[in-house]
Amino acid sequence: MSDLEKSIAEWRKQMLAAGIKVPAPLEELEIHLREEIERQMTTGLNPQDAFTFAVQKLGPAHSVQNEFMKVDKTRSALEWKLTEIGLTLVTILVPLLFGGIVLQRASFIDMTAAEELSSLAALAAFSLLAWSGRLGHRLLPVIQNKRIRDAIRFSYCVPLPLWWIVFLNFIVPRHDFTMGEFLVAFAWAFFTPAGACIGLNWGIETAARKRSAPAGF
Amino acid sequence: MIRKELVAASAEPMILALLAKGESYGYAIIQEVKARSGGKLNWTDGMLYPVLHRMEHRGLIKSRWGESETGRKRKYYSLKKDGKTAMAKHHEQWSLVHSVLAGLRKEKYV
Repeated sequence: MSDLEKSIAEWRKQMLAAGIKVPAPLEELEIHLREEIERQMTTGLNPQDAFTFAVQKLGPAHSVQNEFMKVDKTRSALEWKLTEIGLTLVTILVPLLFGGIVLQRASFIDMTAAEELSSLAALAAFSLLAWSGRLGHRLLPVIQNKRIRDAIRFSYCVPLPLWWIVFLNFIVPRHDFTMGEFLVAFAWAFFTPAGACIGLNWGIETAARKRSAPAGF
Repeated sequence: MIRKELVAASAEPMILALLAKGESYGYAIIQEVKARSGGKLNWTDGMLYPVLHRMEHRGLIKSRWGESETGRKRKYYSLKKDGKTAMAKHHEQWSLVHSVLAGLRKEKYV
């Protein structure tokens, strides 16, 4: 391998280390680099100087990668918009549906007025908690690193299904609930913590997306 | 040297206008912009590619892998329909900015 090829291989390593993806972007950049080196060599530079010049013109790996990251961001912007529409629908439809059942007092549900009020309060808490994150994102920290955001999501929301399992398998069987009591307990055990989980995630995601640094060249 | 912000803002309209003349590839785009601006619009070469990828993702341009006359692999970019519309919009806006500046400058020297 010639010295020039060794230098190019070394440069590739640096680009990979900075997070430039293979094959597409890195290959395109390498083609560009080789073209520039060739051009500089025709003007009389020796291969090593031509390489140094071309690398300098291409710019530092991390800033090129930063720009590519912004492309990925616009890509995920659409997905996020769809997620937000989904969350909006869930946080509106779930309370409406469940609340509708409670208010209808279907024949199979025997509820006292207090139970009815309590379960409606649980549903309201679900929606309010979920939306408090979205609307109050300014109070939350901006966490640029997606991995850290995922870690928070994971640690905050994984206990939720575990709690549901405990509730259904261990807590409910120990009590002789009437249908009304069960619905109240169910609403508070299922919806309210779910609302808190949605709210926190919605909030930190919105904070990261709305308040991140502006685009540059 | 032209300010960084202006270089960034003008990159997209310039790429669109260049590609309107026919398909091209990264290296040639940079060379042409440099030549046409008398070397005053100097892009950091590596920064062009993220811009091209972003424009491709937004559906303004499309790309295909091809080969140069010497058999070198190259990625060629060309304009799409949305790109033409975007170019017209850019042109309108930049012309407006230019005409306001030119008008004010003219009045100053009357």
